Amino acid sequence: MIDDPLEARDQILARLRRALSGARSVFRDRSGPSTPPATPTAVTRADGDRRSLAKAFGTKLAEVSGSYEFLEDAAEASERLVQLARAWSADDDGDTEADDAPAIEVLSWAPLALPIENLGPRLKESGISLFVPEDLHDESTRARAARATVGLTGAEAAFAGTGSIVVASGRGKSRAASLLPLRHIVLVPMSRIHPTLEAWLSNLRREQALGSFLRVSGQIVFITGPSKSADIELDLTLGVHGPRLVHALIFDDTW
Amino acid sequence: MKDRSTARPRVALFVTCMVDSLYPGVGIAAAQLLERHGVDVIFPTRQTCCGQPAYNAGYRKDARAMARHFIDVFWPLVDDGSIDAIVAPSGSCVAMVKLQYPILFELSDEEYRRRAVQLGEVTYELTQYLVDFLGVCDTGARFSGRVAYHPSCHLLRELKIDAQPRRLLAALRDAEIVELPGADECCGFGGLFALKNADISTAMGRRKARNLKASKADIVAMNDVSCMTHLNGILEREGYSCRAVHIAELLNERSAGDAG
Amino acid sequence: MPVDAAAPYRTRVRQALADDGLRAALDRATEHLSGRRAKAMAEIDARRLRDEAGAVRRYAIEHLPDLLEQLESNLIANGCQVHWARDASEALGVVLEIARAHHIGDVVKSKSMTTEEIGLNDALERSGIDVVETDLGEFIVQLAGEPPSHIIAPVIHKRVEDIAEIFRRRLDTPHTTDPAELCAAARRELRNEFLNADLGVSGCNFAIAETGTICVVTNEGNGRMVTSLPRVYIAIAGIEKVVRSAEDAVLLWQAASRNATGQAVSVYFSLTSGPRRRGDSDGPEEMHVILLDNGRSRILERGYGDAALCIRCGACINICPVYREIGGHAYGRTPYSGPIGAVLTPLLDYDIHAARDLPFASSLCGACRDVCPVKIDLPRLLLDLRSVVVERKVSTLGERATLRAYATAMRQPAPYRVLVRLAGWLGPLTGLLPPLRTWRRSRSLPRFARKRFGALWHERARGDDESTAG
Repeated sequence: MIDDPLEARDQILARLRRALSGARSVFRDRSGPSTPPATPTAVTRADGDRRSLAKAFGTKLAEVSGSYEFLEDAAEASERLVQLARAWSADDDGDTEADDAPAIEVLSWAPLALPIENLGPRLKESGISLFVPEDLHDESTRARAARATVGLTGAEAAFAGTGSIVVASGRGKSRAASLLPLRHIVLVPMSRIHPTLEAWLSNLRREQALGSFLRVSGQIVFITGPSKSADIELDLTLGVHGPRLVHALIFDDTW
Repeated sequence: MKDRSTARPRVALFVTCMVDSLYPGVGIAAAQLLERHGVDVIFPTRQTCCGQPAYNAGYRKDARAMARHFIDVFWPLVDDGSIDAIVAPSGSCVAMVKLQYPILFELSDEEYRRRAVQLGEVTYELTQYLVDFLGVCDTGARFSGRVAYHPSCHLLRELKIDAQPRRLLAALRDAEIVELPGADECCGFGGLFALKNADISTAMGRRKARNLKASKADIVAMNDVSCMTHLNGILEREGYSCRAVHIAELLNERSAGDAG
Repeated sequence: MPVDAAAPYRTRVRQALADDGLRAALDRATEHLSGRRAKAMAEIDARRLRDEAGAVRRYAIEHLPDLLEQLESNLIANGCQVHWARDASEALGVVLEIARAHHIGDVVKSKSMTTEEIGLNDALERSGIDVVETDLGEFIVQLAGEPPSHIIAPVIHKRVEDIAEIFRRRLDTPHTTDPAELCAAARRELRNEFLNADLGVSGCNFAIAETGTICVVTNEGNGRMVTSLPRVYIAIAGIEKVVRSAEDAVLLWQAASRNATGQAVSVYFSLTSGPRRRGDSDGPEEMHVILLDNGRSRILERGYGDAALCIRCGACINICPVYREIGGHAYGRTPYSGPIGAVLTPLLDYDIHAARDLPFASSLCGACRDVCPVKIDLPRLLLDLRSVVVERKVSTLGERATLRAYATAMRQPAPYRVLVRLAGWLGPLTGLLPPLRTWRRSRSLPRFARKRFGALWHERARGDDESTAG
């Protein structure tokens, strides 16, 4: 137990300042580059119009064992969502009787946080209910969320250069929806696809919104494909802890 | 300052302590190669050792003392212009002089640091000097058999010399140059490491020996007798037929019928 | 027999070299990872990436105190509690205090070498608190009761048969050598832990000063679970992890991903700035960040700041021909092995005596320097540490005496010639000298020449004189 918490802080900072202001450099190798660029160069690149970027995004995502589909518009996307949820539910329960099957529960972001309008009612019609947890520290909510086999979210942005999406936690945007279930469906409107994540950051920076974006949200996560591990003899296995399947429904919302 | 602009190049041979004491033939071959290509070679007789073993082992003061002696022997010749270059049949010794000497004197002795820098600017490894300065692409040598090339670590990574020895080897008559798997992996000598961590050093050498066997090379050429001693030590002890040779001797190898 | 990380250096090396299973596993893994790294760097402007990443890290170290203050103030503004720890025991004190205050019984943690460095798991266990490692490789070594052997691939030294046996013994998993089945078993087991733990602990890959953000890199998702599900979350960050901006963090993330496993990016990169916000359905209610010194300011004081540039990618470890032969446990009870480990271990709060062998566990081949994404001149640091070992008189008297004598003789022409002539005269008998006896255990010894080069040259010159005169 530290008696005076400030003592440690002051001492550490003082030591560092003394070391850095001394005559001798703190580095042995002083030939190294010293002035970083204000904005580092983007590591990956992607070019072209919206459609090309969308294709590039999909291709990269598939390269890391994710999957994707292109849909013409939001309506098609929600149709597809229903089909997928039903098919997976049948897989899970071995139940092919669609008509009197229990409602499929998808762990989801709140409909208002999703990039498709009226998604809740649309899905309900087809027997798919969106479970939007209020408080995951509540035991029964947690247990219910843990049972879901499909998670549904949108994304703040998607990046063609790496096949990544970025999600930010917030009201109606649980962290759990993209993390707990075995399958994660992410709705990606084409307007949100950027060439690279550096390009997106630079936009935010220009709008002076980068700092607040990071700080307002408790946590933002860049997600690139399904969870994986190669710890056991370098053998690649998907779905170790996080989702095993990440499926992007990319639709044109630029009409 | 002597004017050497139109004269034949004059080079001081820095033979290195291992060549001097163990492989004098390598030194002779180096001198002959240079002479045959129009260079006047002188041998400053007071030279001893560049100090790398001491430096490598962490004995800075001793390394500095040895470096001072080296600088005392060679620098005056550079400073008064009586030589154009210092050439050594060794990557690690040249790297020591060019790259480590300035560091050795950085804090303690500005005068020697300055001299070290001046000296280092004109110190070259043998194949580097032959190819880059004398424009040699073919030494007229012959070797009948399969030849692999092992780039020693200091040569490859510190001096960034690789194309030059390969170029000269490619011109060998009758030779078949073979690819060596894991060529740029360290052979395991590492100076004091070979004794202080003899078992790891040997394991690394054995790995290189296995790769040599896989390459089917009859000989493996290299620019450093340190690697050569270590590899031959293992190749002989373990009954491999391949042998390590110094590139100077290989490049100087002419059959009786070739012009001298 | 496995390598005992607590045994003396010579023993550890001997055990490693005798373990064929270990060496086969190391071979396979390091070759695979190095190959992937090379491919991932070849597809981008590698030179630019390394230059920029190096510059970004240098800047951070040069401005460390200011950036740390900025980080702290932003973390606090974001709702975090910030603690500073001068050493391992202070850091452990903070963790235990938080654990006590919240009556913590179960902890889940993601992979963090910093937490290994301070011995977090032992300290928690001793206080009756259950800790579960959730990174698959760390989970396996925890079950096996061993320390990790590589900073990125903790269980690189084990074959699947060994892992199957561990799972069978500790989790009652039916025997299987199918990695997918073993992973599924781990996922089930750990899912329970994630959902029920009271406290999550993570390390920190980068800490963004500008926004007060802790960045964690994982591929499995355990980092996200650990930082989102339990009510209390503690991030333990070495003070050198701080960077200026989000852009810098994103650059380093990509540099680390490509160089660690050859991925363009890791599957997850979580940036946590604070606890759960009002209206959030999940996230920790309390978030603590411990800024840990534990020898890092000493590294700067001693002028080894280059070692603090490290972004823990493991590329140097994977390319090291020495690591390949002996593996991580041979470097001792330290989470840092390979070239960076041979530098960091003696420099952090580890004793130069305990770590005196490590700077010498290298042939100085320089392959590590060529792959380091932030361009640390590792061979130079190793050489400098060797001279520290010598200066502190930690090397043996015998070695010092031999080397001094050698250096004295070798730098003066007269004794040098005497020595060389003596060796030539002794011929094979030189093999009886102790250093050369060591050599001869595994290698044949060349003969010292009867006539040294200097003498031959002299004769040659005399011969020329005679022939031109005659």
